[in-house]
Amino acid sequence: MNVHIASAVVLATACAAPLTGQEKPDQKIYRVFVACESADEVHRVAFDGQTAKVEKIIDVGYQPTEIEGPHGLTVGPEGKYWYLSIAHGKPFGLLYKYRTSDDALVGECELGMFPATMQISPATGLLYCVNFNLHGRMLPSSVSIVDPDAMVEVARTMTGAMPHGSRLTRDGRLHYSCAMMSGELYEIDATTFKVTRNMQLDIDLPKGHESEAKPTWIQPHPTQKKIYAALNGKATIVEVDTDEWLVTRRLACAKGPYNLDLTSTGKQLVVTYKTAGEIGIWDLEQGTESARFPSSRRVTHGVVISPDDRYAFVTAEGKNAEPGALDVVDLQQQRKVTTVAVGLQAGGIAFWQTAKL
Amino acid sequence: MTRTRLLVASFLTFLPIALAPTLVAQIESKPAATGSVRVSPNELTLPVGGKAQLDAEVLDVGGRPVADARVLFFSRARRSLRVSSDGEVEALKPGKFEIIARALLPNVDRRTGPSATVTVTVPHPDPAAIELPNAPPKIYTGTTVPLAAHVVDKNGTPRDDLTVALTSANRDVAAVDAFGLVTGLRPGSTKILAKGGDLEHEITLDVVANPVAKLDLHAPTDTVRTGDVITFGVKLTNADGAAVWNVPVFYSFTARPDDTLGNAATGQIQQDGRFVAEKPGLYTIVATCGNVSDRLTIRATKRFPQKRKLERVGHGPVLDVHTSDLWVWEGVDGRDYCVTGTWGANGDAIFWDVTDPSKIERIATVTVDARTVNDVKVSDDGRLCIISREGASNRKNGIVAFDVSDPRNPQKISEFDDQLTGGVHNLFIHEGYAYALSAGRRYDILDIKNPRAPIRVGSYQVFEPGASIHDVWVENGIAYSSNWRYGLHLVDVGNGIKGGSPSNPVKIGNYAYPSGWNHAAFPWRSKDTDKFYVFAGDEAFPYGLYTKDNPTYARGWIHIVDFTDLEDPQEVARYEVPEAGTHNLWIEGNTMYVAYYNAGLRVVDISGDLMGDLYRQGREIAWYLPTHPESLVPNAPMAWGPQPHKGHIFFSDWNSGLWAVKLVEDKGRRR
Repeated sequence: MNVHIASAVVLATACAAPLTGQEKPDQKIYRVFVACESADEVHRVAFDGQTAKVEKIIDVGYQPTEIEGPHGLTVGPEGKYWYLSIAHGKPFGLLYKYRTSDDALVGECELGMFPATMQISPATGLLYCVNFNLHGRMLPSSVSIVDPDAMVEVARTMTGAMPHGSRLTRDGRLHYSCAMMSGELYEIDATTFKVTRNMQLDIDLPKGHESEAKPTWIQPHPTQKKIYAALNGKATIVEVDTDEWLVTRRLACAKGPYNLDLTSTGKQLVVTYKTAGEIGIWDLEQGTESARFPSSRRVTHGVVISPDDRYAFVTAEGKNAEPGALDVVDLQQQRKVTTVAVGLQAGGIAFWQTAKL
Repeated sequence: MTRTRLLVASFLTFLPIALAPTLVAQIESKPAATGSVRVSPNELTLPVGGKAQLDAEVLDVGGRPVADARVLFFSRARRSLRVSSDGEVEALKPGKFEIIARALLPNVDRRTGPSATVTVTVPHPDPAAIELPNAPPKIYTGTTVPLAAHVVDKNGTPRDDLTVALTSANRDVAAVDAFGLVTGLRPGSTKILAKGGDLEHEITLDVVANPVAKLDLHAPTDTVRTGDVITFGVKLTNADGAAVWNVPVFYSFTARPDDTLGNAATGQIQQDGRFVAEKPGLYTIVATCGNVSDRLTIRATKRFPQKRKLERVGHGPVLDVHTSDLWVWEGVDGRDYCVTGTWGANGDAIFWDVTDPSKIERIATVTVDARTVNDVKVSDDGRLCIISREGASNRKNGIVAFDVSDPRNPQKISEFDDQLTGGVHNLFIHEGYAYALSAGRRYDILDIKNPRAPIRVGSYQVFEPGASIHDVWVENGIAYSSNWRYGLHLVDVGNGIKGGSPSNPVKIGNYAYPSGWNHAAFPWRSKDTDKFYVFAGDEAFPYGLYTKDNPTYARGWIHIVDFTDLEDPQEVARYEVPEAGTHNLWIEGNTMYVAYYNAGLRVVDISGDLMGDLYRQGREIAWYLPTHPESLVPNAPMAWGPQPHKGHIFFSDWNSGLWAVKLVEDKGRRR
C-alpha cells in the first residue's frame, strides 16, 4: 500500500497549522475523508471555515491495474481508526482499516460483493456494512457484521436486492438499510444480527424484480423514532414512523435524491440529488426544502454533517477525467462556502475530527 | 439482572477434554470504566461437532452485577467455531479460536461496553491411520524410489500437522533416508515401518536382484543448440545380453560451460532422459542403474549465432494518459488500423492509421462514459469494434460497440450493460459472439451478430470460494480464461469436444499454479512436436504500481503448460525475465511476443520441444524498451500488449502509447 503526500500539501496535520492568515482564536479545522471510487484514492480534506484543502492522498487497493472502487467510509467512535470498503476484489470486496494518526493500513477483511456504506454501533462495537452487489442479477444480498478489533466478519445477515445506506440508530441497537432494487427498508437487531422487520417503501410494488422507487439511503432520526429514506427513482423523501412501522410522509423533492444526513437535533436534513446535481437543505418540522443549489460537479453523491451542525460536506463525482469535488455548505447561512477538487468519482465521505487551531 | 445460565444440556455433546482447573472457573475482562464481563467457563476444549453453553454476566466497577445488562456473544472464526448470540457454542473445525462476550449497556451514552474473551480449543480428530499410497511391492537392488506417507484422521482427512518417519527393519536389504527415498541394497525382504501421530504402520518391501548387467546410453545427436530438448535413451541388458525393461534409470549430468568465469548451473535433465542445455559448452550425461552406468558427452552451441534486434519503426505517442490494450486490423478499405484504450482517464479509445508504421497517424478518438477503457477488440471483418468500460459515472459500465468501417469516423451503434454493471475489464470477439468479463466474477457470452442489439446467450463462472477471473481468449471454439488462483480454464464454447456452445459453455479442463497470479492465456499447437500448449501469463506488483513520477517494478513470468492431454495438463517450461513482470502475450508461428511491463517487448523462439526456463536457455531473440522523456513516467518502459501484423510488431505501452518495431539483423557493434 502506498501512501503519499500530495505534492500540493502545505498543511501539517499533527499541529493543525492554519490554512490561511486570517484565523480567529476560536477557529476550528474540520477534517473529512473522501473516497474517490475511480482513482482508488482516499483524500483527507481539511476545512478551516473558509477554504478547504486536500491534506493528504492515500492510495488504496491491491490490484493496481484495476479500478477497485473505494466506496464507503467511516471513522471509529474513538477516532483512532478509519474504515474503507473496497467494492471490487477478486471478486469480493474488502474492508480496510487505517490508523488515523498516520493513515497506515493496519487490517483488512474480505466481505461480499461491492461492500458499500457502513457504520460502527456504539452498543456492540461492531461494524455493519451493506454488500451493495450491483453486479449481475438482482438477487437478495446481505449486511456484513465485522468485529473491527480483529477485522473478522462475525455474521452476515441476508436482506434485499442491492442494499445500501447502512445506518444505525443513535443507541446502536438497530440497524437500517434499504434494498435499492427490491424497494425495501430493512431493520436488523444489531445485537442478535437478525432481521426484525422490513417494509416496502414504494407505493407501487417492484415490477420485473426492479423497484421504481430505488431507495438509496436510510437515515434514522437522532432523537425520534423516525427513519428518512431517499427514493432515488421517484424524487421523494420518505418518512417512516418506526413505532407504527408506517410511512408517515412522502416529500416530493428534486431528481435523484441519493444520500442523506441529519443534524444532531434532527431539524435539518441535507439531501444530495445525484441526477439533478444539486444539494438540498430541508426543514423537517415544516416538511419544506429551505434551500437548494447546484453542487460543483455533476453526479452529486455523499454528505456528512459536522458534529456541531454547522457545515455539511458534500461530494460530487464528476464524469470521465473531470476530478471529483468536495463542497462545503454552511447550514446556518444555507449556502455553499467553498469547494475543493479531489480524485475521480468522489463518493463516500466520513467526518473525522474537529480540531482547534 | 440478565444472566445467561450455564447449561450443559444432556443432549449436547459437550466434552471437556482439557478444562481449566474447575469447570466454573471464571474470567473477568480488564475492568473498564463501565465494569467488566464475567464468563464461565473461561476456556473450553471441544471436539469437532461438540457443543457447549457459555454463561456471562456484566459487573459494574465495584464488581456488582449490572441490572438489565445483556451480553452479546460472537465468534472471531465463525466458519470454524459457531456461537449464537446468547452463547451456545458449536465446534466446526480444529484450531484455537476466540469468542467475545460483550456487555450491552442499558444506556444511551454511545459507549461500547466491556468485553471478555473466551478461548476455545478444538483439537484435531485423533489420527486413525498412516497411509503410504503408491508404495511399490518390490524394487530392484541399486535403484531408489520415493515413498510418500501421511497420517489421516477417522474422516480420511490428512493430518498435515503430523509428520511420518520411515525406517527399514532390515537395513542390509533396503535403506530409507530422511526424505523418504528408499534404496534397494541386496535381494531380500524387509518391513518399512512408518511412525507418526502415535501410530505405526508397516508394509513389506521386496528387493529383487537387479537384472541389468550393462547399460548403454545413447543420444540422437552429439551437438545441440541451447534450448533444444533432446531425449537420451538407454539400452539395458542382462548378463545373457537379453534386453531388460522397466528397471529405473537415474540420470544426472555435469557441465563444462565455455564461459568458465563463474558461470552457474547450466542445464536440466528429467528422469525420462530429456535434457536441455542453457549455456554453450560440454555436457556429460550419466545414466545409472544399480551397479552399472554409462556416460556420454555432447556439445551445446549458442542458439542464435546471428544476432537480431527490434528496430523502432514508429511511435504514436500518448503522453498525457495511460494507454491500455490494442488491436491491429486491416480495414475494409485495405489500409491498416489500430485502436488503443486508455486507463484511469477520460474514457477514450484512440484510433490510428498504421498503414505506414513509420508514420503512425492518430485519426480519431471516441469518448465513452468511463474512466478506463481497458480492452478493445475488432471483429475479423474489420467492421465492428467493441470497447470495455470501467468507472462509468452511472456505474453501469458494460461494453460499447462502434461501426469502424471508416475508422476515421467511428460510429457508436450500441451499448450493452445488462449484468455487466460491475465493470468489464476484458473482452474477446469470436465468430459473432462477444465474451465480456463481468466484475471479475465470470464472463458473459453475447450474441453480437446484430451488434445494434446484443443478446446474452451464455455465461461461464468458476464456482469456487473466492474465484475471480481476469481475461478470456477464444480460439477454435474453446475459451481460455485466466482466473488468478484458479488458473486456466478451458471451456468448449462451440468446438464440440465436450458438446459445448456459446449458449452452453462446457468446461474441458483446468490448471492452476500456486502463486495465484494467472492473468492472461494464449493457446498454441506446436507444428514441430504436435504438442498443444497454453501459455499462461502472470501479473504481479509486489512493489506497487506507480501511475506517475516513479517507474514500476513488476514481477511474474510466462508459464508454459502442456495441455496435449486435456485431462492431465503439465507445466513444463517457463519464460522469466529477471526483475520484471509479464502482461499480455501473442504467439505467431514459432515466435512468442511478450509485453513484459518494465522489461519492454520481448521476442522469444518457442520452436521444438519446450522444457525449463527459455530465458536462461538463450531462446530470447530480441527485446525493445519503449521510453519517452515526456511520458507520464519519463523514460520508464511499461509494455502492455503486443500484436504482430504484416511483418511489424505493434505494441502498446502504458506510459507512452503505441509503438511499431521490426525484427532485423543486428549488425551493430557493441563495446
